[in-house]
Amino acid sequence: MKKILSGSLILLAVMAAAPAWAHHSMAGFDRTKTVTLVGTVKQFKWANPHSWIELDVPDGKGGSTDWNVEMTSPAVLIRAGWKSNVMKPGDKVTVMAHPQQSGEPGGIFVSVTLADGRTLTDRPAPAPTDGQPRPNP
Amino acid sequence: MAALLAGALNLAAQSAAVATEAPQPGALSKANLAKPRPKPPFDLTGTWQHGGGPNNGFRFTPPAGIKLTAAAQVQFDAAQKAAKAGKVYRDDIGQCWPAGLPVIMTRVWPIAMVQGPTEIFMISGFMNSVRMIYLDGRKHTDPDLVVRSFNGESIGHWEGDTLVVDSTGFVDDHHWIDTGIPASDALHVVERIKLINNGDTLEIEYTFADPKSWEGEWKSTKRFHRVEDTDITEASCLPDLNEHLPSTHSSVNVR
Repeated sequence: MKKILSGSLILLAVMAAAPAWAHHSMAGFDRTKTVTLVGTVKQFKWANPHSWIELDVPDGKGGSTDWNVEMTSPAVLIRAGWKSNVMKPGDKVTVMAHPQQSGEPGGIFVSVTLADGRTLTDRPAPAPTDGQPRPNP
Repeated sequence: MAALLAGALNLAAQSAAVATEAPQPGALSKANLAKPRPKPPFDLTGTWQHGGGPNNGFRFTPPAGIKLTAAAQVQFDAAQKAAKAGKVYRDDIGQCWPAGLPVIMTRVWPIAMVQGPTEIFMISGFMNSVRMIYLDGRKHTDPDLVVRSFNGESIGHWEGDTLVVDSTGFVDDHHWIDTGIPASDALHVVERIKLINNGDTLEIEYTFADPKSWEGEWKSTKRFHRVEDTDITEASCLPDLNEHLPSTHSSVNVR
């Protein structure tokens, strides 16, 4: 797992300069900050052009906040090892996200640690060593 | 009765006048498809992905020093001001407006291209936006009749080993060449398309003119590589999509 994660981090650095895959501007997210959201899945949407996770995050004072975490497309997630059933409403998960510049509850996805302890990102597994180019999203 | 008869005759005469121009046969009509045509220099049927290599970014950025019109300058200045304030200026694509030509060509989604004898279809994996490029020798539709669109009306012809596609008939709002660079209904796009690298690379040289937005014309060249293990998929901009995407309903958006 540690090996896979370090591969993902390297790719993350390489892809930081890549054009946004989104259907809109990504300037509203603060990529210098990462928030950790511990909460309960309300919805995990597996859809084009974007998937998303809607999360109920307790505030520790008896209340909770509804967070939407924006993701890439299923095609990209599949290459990162995802399936549509990795999360379901009611699952307790920990999501890392770059928050909105505006301070509103929402962010762009970085990683999720699932109820079973697995951690998933949206980055593909390390490139094969056979020299074959990987397809783009 | 005489007046009725005269009216009927008048209507008949008008119908005859309108009927003098034969209607354009559909590009996929049997008669149009059956017409003999020279073999095209190449067939771009395939799935294509923009990107890779130097000077091949996804943006279509006008050259430095371009002279914007007063109307376009207002938009450009507002976009600059918004960016300095950490805001996102009129990100219409995020609000489900079509990307339109040329931006639709360089989304990070593949484009399925299907070439027939009379028409090429380019279907983007991004919102399944479709371009129809007519190869049947037709002329552009009368500007007073054309139904304006985001991808425009595209008509292609062959010049040697190059497919030249001329596009006009664009909408006049919610259509952007780049952030703060508006496209107007006077936009005119010419694409010179070549199939290179043993058929694995599509190179498109774009020439942009829009006298309502800038003076003169400018060019940008983009390259697309053939992808053999990918298909485009259905993608729609639906109301619940934007409800759940922080970037599209955030207060940083200036509309």
